[in-house]
Amino acid sequence: MSAVGTPVGTRPAIGAPAARRPRQRARVLPTAVLLVGALYCLVPVAWVLVASTKSRGELFSTFTFAPGTGLLDNLGDLFAYGDGAFLLWCANSLLYAGVGAVLSTLVSAMSGYALAKFRFPGRDAIFYAVLGGVLLPGITLAIPQYLLMSKLGLMGSHWSVLLPSIISPFGIYLSRVYAAAAVPEEVVEAARIDGASEWRTFTAVAVPMLLPGMVTVFMLQFVGIWNNFLLPFVMLSDEHRYPLTVGLYSLLAKGSGEPALYSLAIVGAAVSILPLIALLLFLQRFWRMDLISGGLKG
Amino acid sequence: MRRRTLATAAAAGLVLALGACSSGGGDSAGADGGGDGPITLEYWAWGTAQDGMVEAWNAAHPDVQVEKTDAGGSTDSSAKLLTATRAENAPDVAVVQYDTLPAMIVGGVAADIGEHTADVEGEFNPGVWSQVEFDGAVYGVPQDVGPQAMVYNQARFAELGIPVPTTWAEFATVAEQVKQKDPASTLATFAPAEFGGFAAMAQQNGAQWWSVDGDAWTVSIDDEPSRQVAQYWQDLVDRDVIDAEPLLTPEWNAKLAAGKVLSWPSALWANGVINGVVPEQAGQWALAPIPAWQAGQSAVSFQGGSAVVVTTSSEHPEEAAEFAKWINTSKEGSAAQIEAGQYPASLVGQELTLSSAPPVQSPQQADYWQVAQRIASSTVPEVSWGPNVNVANSAFQDAFNAAVTDGTPFTEALATVQEAVVADMEKSGFTVSAG
Amino acid sequence: MSTTAPATATAGAPALRRRTRVPLAPYLFLTPGLVLFALFLVVPIGYAVWLSLRGLRISGGGPFGRREEVFVGFENYAAALTSADFLSGFGRLAVYGAIAVPLTLGLALLFALLLDATTTAAKRFSRTAIFIPYAVPGVIASLLWGFLYLPTTSPVSHVTEALGWGSVPFLSGAALFGSVANIAIWGGVGFNMIIIYTSLRGIPSEVQEAARIDGASETQVALRIKVPLVAPALVLTGLFSLIGTLQVYGEPTTLRPMTTSITQTWVPLMTIYRDAFTRDDLPLAAAASVLLALGTLVVSVVLLRLAQRRAFGDAA
Repeated sequence: MSAVGTPVGTRPAIGAPAARRPRQRARVLPTAVLLVGALYCLVPVAWVLVASTKSRGELFSTFTFAPGTGLLDNLGDLFAYGDGAFLLWCANSLLYAGVGAVLSTLVSAMSGYALAKFRFPGRDAIFYAVLGGVLLPGITLAIPQYLLMSKLGLMGSHWSVLLPSIISPFGIYLSRVYAAAAVPEEVVEAARIDGASEWRTFTAVAVPMLLPGMVTVFMLQFVGIWNNFLLPFVMLSDEHRYPLTVGLYSLLAKGSGEPALYSLAIVGAAVSILPLIALLLFLQRFWRMDLISGGLKG
Repeated sequence: MRRRTLATAAAAGLVLALGACSSGGGDSAGADGGGDGPITLEYWAWGTAQDGMVEAWNAAHPDVQVEKTDAGGSTDSSAKLLTATRAENAPDVAVVQYDTLPAMIVGGVAADIGEHTADVEGEFNPGVWSQVEFDGAVYGVPQDVGPQAMVYNQARFAELGIPVPTTWAEFATVAEQVKQKDPASTLATFAPAEFGGFAAMAQQNGAQWWSVDGDAWTVSIDDEPSRQVAQYWQDLVDRDVIDAEPLLTPEWNAKLAAGKVLSWPSALWANGVINGVVPEQAGQWALAPIPAWQAGQSAVSFQGGSAVVVTTSSEHPEEAAEFAKWINTSKEGSAAQIEAGQYPASLVGQELTLSSAPPVQSPQQADYWQVAQRIASSTVPEVSWGPNVNVANSAFQDAFNAAVTDGTPFTEALATVQEAVVADMEKSGFTVSAG
Repeated sequence: MSTTAPATATAGAPALRRRTRVPLAPYLFLTPGLVLFALFLVVPIGYAVWLSLRGLRISGGGPFGRREEVFVGFENYAAALTSADFLSGFGRLAVYGAIAVPLTLGLALLFALLLDATTTAAKRFSRTAIFIPYAVPGVIASLLWGFLYLPTTSPVSHVTEALGWGSVPFLSGAALFGSVANIAIWGGVGFNMIIIYTSLRGIPSEVQEAARIDGASETQVALRIKVPLVAPALVLTGLFSLIGTLQVYGEPTTLRPMTTSITQTWVPLMTIYRDAFTRDDLPLAAAASVLLALGTLVVSVVLLRLAQRRAFGDAA
């Protein structure tokens, strides 16, 4: 009936037009409601772009949506701040989110595949532990993770942010659901009969089938790590290792005698959200979001 | 330690792989140094003045190189110092605001460097030195001071034809005049979350929030002088003569830019802050002493200001103490400090300001540094902070914000803070008596 | 939850039907995940529980004695459970959640149905636009909404003031809850919309056609056929929104300096952060974290149980 249990391909992927239905003429009211929603979501983003053109003085003295004259100065200030700290924050965000999401996707895919395609003692216990991990507020772990990292001598290093980002109970859970639905039992069995090792069966047979699910897990993890604030904020004290979120926050939270650098933070925000939006628009052709909702019973 | 070095190296490799230039970094260099070769000290500091001071030191001391890290402003930085000390990876040297120094002492962050500091004590006013000396032990070298002062929009004052108030009573009268002449403007705002500013005004009026008597602490945050200050502002807020709202928000900044906030009773560092917000008003702002509670009284207290501490985690306490002394008492260090707009704590630094040009926001005020020096030379004799100023600060912000929001008396908020501070100290095991 | 395989098989003997030997491969596949899971979830949880039974107390006497860690039993739990700050945070959380969760889900469902309906235009543009806020980090979202809320910089207040109605007090009084919730709604609608929308697209078109031939309007098809069929997606997005609510922290924290109405203990996680980092009382923060995590677990399990009985009562 529903997508449950068969997340793969009963309907065209969301990018394709819904051509199969008899097309009715668009009506004004529903379209207007949809456009109001779009406007609500776009206005603040538009504001960031407009505000990034304002000079320090204009930011507080001109009408909110009036463009200013300071864009080039702001960009210059931004890239000059702290000897190019902004570019370093971008590189760090890319490192944490990129490497973290790739590793997380691999670890999740392997774990999910094992949980879905093998029967072995302890499987259910492990699965319930993972489910518990999904429900745990990640933020409450930040402090104990911090103390653990200090014990390992990794506190303040790139590892202290990267390593905890790799494990994602939700990613494992999604991978298990997807593997259960997308990798048919017979195909795995056939590969085994052909004498392929379990590892080869996984990499050559299962992974290609898991790919759309892995893209989804990658995207969720990438955005999750990119937008994460508390973990790097707690772990890091060297501004050279900050990701963008903490770096931009540090522009706002100065002590007495140092005003918040609003115009820098705003132009930094504008510059940093554009590539992420581009990435999402690119990835949305490949992901399988029905995986998330179809998964409840999987 | 080996594990950590490997990890750091690997992490650096990852960054390089991504094409980022890993500048600075190397936090383990100092810890691993040891043998021959130059020592590297790690230094946590914030603010624009630091880079110049560190550069001056590094140029003059090839054998002891210092790497500066910005670990956040005062609140974030001191919170991280406490946890980093527990995790045994604190930096060698760090900037700490005077009011959080006691918390750094009981938190085991700041080391007693008394054996190294005898030669520089004379470089500071006794009132300043008392901020780093506790119970006969010295826990830091003063870096900058923030004696309270008032910056005001001279152009707007002239336009409205109002005088610069010298006492708080006059300040109230002038505030009324502003409201009459230009209802959209306000002489100043009362920022309910400004713990440091309120504490300084209370101290100016004679309050002593924490004091030590033998082994016991006395806490008197809701003493009579403090209650008077609370009532004074309460009256101005109640009569709508002064707006109560947070400082330096986009809202406040916008009012400042529109010329609707006429003055800011704060401290000597205010000039740079105003410049950061409204650079186009350079030439309109001037410095004056903060109003006094009684006519003729000139002693002011400190709001902000910080010292450089050597941490208990440092493996090179002697070099670290030398660094702390040098950047804060040498001509080179002071010059770099003044250039960035910070007011030095040392006498030699303060002397040096007199030959400097007025700061960027007040080029028109030729006697700016003379006024500053007069203010700095007359501070209240001794201010002592307690071991849990952090608790007081956070309780103060919540209590005063709530009082403003709900319209409850400020004096009640003071009592709430007093209660929270005493309860916290008792929980920690201090002997406390309420004053 | 150590990395070595649990030795004893659970009661489910059929699990071993294919092979008599315990297979090695799944454990090898699971090793990286389990090692990381143990290291960054299990061990920290254990450490938090242990820490929650400790306390920092002054030793050695004197006004500047050093604080040292000692065992204090359940003192921290008692303190957290009797702390007015911590508990009243849950009250505010409830109000906030009562606004944020239904509106996020309701709007997400509405937009998803509109995207799936045959009667709307500009779908591709709208879908992309509504999804974009998902790419904006919470810290930045709060900063930019802050500018849009404050009277002098708000375009809304600009208009209302021009009309002589005065500025809109977004950040005080009861409006505050709406303003904070709005940031979460803004950031969350798009993501939830996509989840529900992809579910809608999984509904076979024959079912809908049959209803249309019977004369059902587009609205009726949406409410009577589509909504019940995407119930699993709604339950799941609801659960995520609820967990998100219990973890709300970033938005009020970033807005706090802009208003007098947000305390440092506005929601439970803010209290935990204050205790841990501003007040340097890690053990108390650990105890409160454990309580919050347990609470989340209980709420989630209860919700899932209820939902399962209702939505899948017949299917399961």
